[in-house]
Amino acid sequence: MKRYAYYQSCINESMTREVDRSIQLWQHDLGIEMVNLHESTCCGGSNLDYVSPKHFALVNARNIAAAEKLGMDLVVSCNTCLMTIRSAKKKLDESPELKAEVNDLLRKEGLEYRGTSEVRHLLWVLIDDVGLDAIRAKVKTPLSRLRIAPFYGCHILRPSTVLGRDNPLEPTSLDLLLEALGGRTIPYDHKNRCCGFHTLLVAEEESLNVAAEALKEAMDEKADCIVTPCPLCHTVLDGYQSKALKKNGLRGSIPVFHLSEVVGLALGYSDRQLGIRRHIVTA
Amino acid sequence: MKLFDIVIVGGGGAGLYAAMEAMKANPALNIAVLSKIYPNRSHTSAAQGGANAALANSAKDDTVEMHIFDTIKGSDYLADQDAVEVLCSEAPKIIRELENMGTPWSRLDDKTIAQRPFGGAGRPRCCYCADKTGHTILQTLYEQCLRKGVQFFNEYFALDLSLDGSRSKGIIAMNIKTGKVEAFPARTVIFATGGYAKMYWNRSSNAAGNTGDGQAIAYRAGIPLKDMEFVQFHPTGLRKSGLLVTEGARGEGGYLVNALGERFMSRYAPEKMELGPRDLVSRSLETEILEGRGFDSPAGKYLHLDLRHLGADLIKSRLPQIREMCMYFEGVDPIDEPIPVRPTAHYSMGGIDTDNFGRTVMEGVYAAGECGCVSVHGANRLGGNSLLDILVFGRIAGRAAAEEAGGFNPSPILDNEVADKDQEIRSFMRSKGHYERYGTLREELGQTLGMNVGIYRESSKIHRGIEEIAALKERFSHVRVFDTGDVYNTNLVQVLELRNMLDLAETVAAGALVREESRGSHTRTDYPTRDDINWHRHTTYTLMNGKPVLGFKPVSMGRYELQERTY
Amino acid sequence: MTDSSKQHIEEKRDVTFRVHRFNPQVDSKPYFDDYTIKLEKGITVLRALNYIKEHVDASLTFRAFCQAGICGSCAMRINNMSKLACTTQVWDELERTREPNVIRVEPLRNLPLIKDLVVEMDPLVGKMQQFSNWVDSKMPEEQWGRKEFLVSEEEFRKYDKATDCILCASCVSECTILRANRDYVSPAVLLKSYRMNVDSRDASHEQRLAGLVGDHGVWDCTHCYRCQETCVKHIPIMDAIHGIREDAIERRGVKDTSGARHAEAFMTDIGKKGKLVEATLPIRTNGVAWTLKNLLPMAFKMVIKRRTPPPPLLVKSTSGIEQFRAEFREMSGHVAKDHEKKSGE
Repeated sequence: MKRYAYYQSCINESMTREVDRSIQLWQHDLGIEMVNLHESTCCGGSNLDYVSPKHFALVNARNIAAAEKLGMDLVVSCNTCLMTIRSAKKKLDESPELKAEVNDLLRKEGLEYRGTSEVRHLLWVLIDDVGLDAIRAKVKTPLSRLRIAPFYGCHILRPSTVLGRDNPLEPTSLDLLLEALGGRTIPYDHKNRCCGFHTLLVAEEESLNVAAEALKEAMDEKADCIVTPCPLCHTVLDGYQSKALKKNGLRGSIPVFHLSEVVGLALGYSDRQLGIRRHIVTA
Repeated sequence: MKLFDIVIVGGGGAGLYAAMEAMKANPALNIAVLSKIYPNRSHTSAAQGGANAALANSAKDDTVEMHIFDTIKGSDYLADQDAVEVLCSEAPKIIRELENMGTPWSRLDDKTIAQRPFGGAGRPRCCYCADKTGHTILQTLYEQCLRKGVQFFNEYFALDLSLDGSRSKGIIAMNIKTGKVEAFPARTVIFATGGYAKMYWNRSSNAAGNTGDGQAIAYRAGIPLKDMEFVQFHPTGLRKSGLLVTEGARGEGGYLVNALGERFMSRYAPEKMELGPRDLVSRSLETEILEGRGFDSPAGKYLHLDLRHLGADLIKSRLPQIREMCMYFEGVDPIDEPIPVRPTAHYSMGGIDTDNFGRTVMEGVYAAGECGCVSVHGANRLGGNSLLDILVFGRIAGRAAAEEAGGFNPSPILDNEVADKDQEIRSFMRSKGHYERYGTLREELGQTLGMNVGIYRESSKIHRGIEEIAALKERFSHVRVFDTGDVYNTNLVQVLELRNMLDLAETVAAGALVREESRGSHTRTDYPTRDDINWHRHTTYTLMNGKPVLGFKPVSMGRYELQERTY
Repeated sequence: MTDSSKQHIEEKRDVTFRVHRFNPQVDSKPYFDDYTIKLEKGITVLRALNYIKEHVDASLTFRAFCQAGICGSCAMRINNMSKLACTTQVWDELERTREPNVIRVEPLRNLPLIKDLVVEMDPLVGKMQQFSNWVDSKMPEEQWGRKEFLVSEEEFRKYDKATDCILCASCVSECTILRANRDYVSPAVLLKSYRMNVDSRDASHEQRLAGLVGDHGVWDCTHCYRCQETCVKHIPIMDAIHGIREDAIERRGVKDTSGARHAEAFMTDIGKKGKLVEATLPIRTNGVAWTLKNLLPMAFKMVIKRRTPPPPLLVKSTSGIEQFRAEFREMSGHVAKDHEKKSGE
């Protein structure tokens, strides 16, 4: 059983609670275990970095240091938390002064940021540690009837200087996993594009246009559903779906799944167990 | 259109500086910049090295005097010494002015503008911004013109001057986006359209549009051109595109190798080998090709610049841009394969004959930059002086035009003149009697110029070149514009550019034939030495009855006596 | 040494270019033409297009000038990605085609189409003017040319990379927000604005910044990083956008715009609870009226599905919060000291 320090993203503790719930359901089936880091704090997104780069470094050094204390990699299931924590890690690793300043404070609670734990997305762990073959072997109900539109979201891909796991404009990882689960993925333009989440509160109209365009393309390509590894993308594409479509004069609807949910479905869990019924758009 | 005080044709460094200076001289003036591209795309951006100015930041003992001497010597004594004095003494001021308006420069420890050594200069005097000096200067000038509210007419192709006897009334141009031919009545016109070295086509490092449009328009209007035979070649252009592989590749230890596997430079410069002076290396490559020791390819004969022995690490760390360029443009990674190269035309010393104020013989018509010929470069331009030239003489022409603009009221450009021009360019679209493809003619022009009026010139070859150019002109009268639309007709634009190149090619070949000596970039195998008694003078070409008529102009001398040019 | 004398023998292949065509004088809508030509390895997409224009179809229209990757004219979408045709090798593109041996060539997005592969660049120039994308020199014009501003190499490096921009508009074409609203400032213009703002010779910093935080300005960026990944000159454009945002908060305060208030909310919440209080985020960003108008209609469904974020009092603080708060406060002390030092300089 390989164990990981699991970063609890704010959104997964409030609006998208189904993510952590589904991971807990199937993690042992795949021989992994996520150890919740109760002492972790909000990563702050880029927003904290604008207001205070030093607090930004402190907060995320602390998040990583907590995983290092356990001697585990830090696993994240929200794209933006992933990008944020990784970019803080990059800054810390590139600046010994910053690292020293931050460690001076962390020492008081017995933590030290050393830079030894990797910060990884759940998707990467599934592919790189569990392995596609192992997953394929565990599938009980293949997603074979589904035409899936994979929606990567931005911050698992870009900036490539921080993420670097996939080609930032032509990613394949999510497609590979979905295919291992028995699904058929469709090629479409929006698969590596933006959901619009980060401007929802400052430029809502633009955000909804962005989301509507992605939804429309997936529906035009006759996808049965969208799957995303990011709860923020899910919030827009699911939660704001009807508003976005209506605003752009579009009809129809398309279910949107979290990555963790489709893994659960393929491993034989029910939509009720996985929390899929909590979605706004009925699946 | 309303009468303009100044219409500037061309939006590169010279044109933009002229516009800015004219607005500074008199903000009330109505000034227009016409450019066939967006000005920020101009070829000024391709100048990487920098601009010379005796700021004495890097070498405290540098002086304007030394810059003057280096320039005159570099020109093989064909530059006008009074003009060179203007160029070099204005240089520090104009570089500081560019700095003051916001141009980025690399800096020295004392926070002044950094300067580096450059070929032919006695002191490190070349002011630079990394390897993008021309680009940053061009961007800054464009930004400043936007700040000052200069009126831009982007994507307008200048067709011809409108004349009233011997005086210009303005310019007629085609709006490329609409295809409409429009009149730009103007008190003064400044040509700043850049050089003409693209006539060597894919044997040239120049942008596709460096087709000498301004020179050709002036020439057709009876304004003389000067020293057109002087075209500078760079030894190592990429085989397919002509783009430069800069001297850095040889500086780091690259070998030049022929088809027999020989490092042939041992024949020509046994001491310096690949690091001999630029013109000598160019001539050596050409000799290897002419004597049959080059490689063959559909794109023409070439040689190898081999970097492989330097190793991947050195190539990646010291020559990353050269490597990128070879991969982008030639599909060759110099770590694994030798780079295919051949000499490439990259700068035209000749141009519209002007005085030290940018004035041509036609009142109210000016020229500046590579488009004009003052002359500050004479028979051979010094590295780092081309950017300087466009800045200094762009500004001077802008000021001179601003001062003169008030003094003349041209009669209007008549509607029928515009209609005639429209008819003229549209005639290429007729199917009857028009069947030639411009691409073929253009390629053949480059070929004949490269073979017959290239690095090595010789009477019989130049004669052949002249005949072939005449034949191409005849074929051009049958050229067909297949795109008959009005909107953004690049087929038409390229045909018009070809016409300009053909007109100018005639003068280049005529000058090459008549100048029976070897001086600077002009090498006659049948007259291998410099002949100061007969040829220490400028050549001029004026169009009369459809043919270039040769004339001469003395070289302005000053402090510096003629000397042999050795380094 | 021996094999450097070998001739290049290049592989040839039939390649189809599926090119976007549109002539506004005759076409009611765009269509695609296929041109199949035999090409050797080492040819760029631009050279292939030139070949088609010269030998197959002279009416095919695109911009190209320097053909050396410095003028920015020939940006277009090749196999669905905005890039320069002159620096793109056909062989590389063949590896990423959806249909074997077919390369799709389309015009840039987010700018008005003129013909075939040519788009109108004037909107971009207009925005450069709108946001004063020039250095407004602190030195009066009459004094220019007499002496240099003294600028350290370190300061030069602040804008060095940004001045690599060739305005090819690839980032404009790939921008998520521009696609949603063409009034948006654009990545290239943000980059240039940043370059001007960090130049110590410039006198218009505050004014430019005031424009940038306005409608359709810097806070509308959605952080998708497409501009940066597309940039043909590898410029970290998002760093410039971040830089403007940081600068805006520092100079104009955290209450200035909804974007700044949104950012501040993160700082406040983390300092208090270690966690984000999502329920009140909209109100703190945009006020009560906006929240009622925009979010109330959705709230009902959210409640039914139990998707509403917990109210502030129910947001559980992170464990070990006291110690965390102390560290957070102490860091605030460091930051205050940094500011003092900076303003003392």
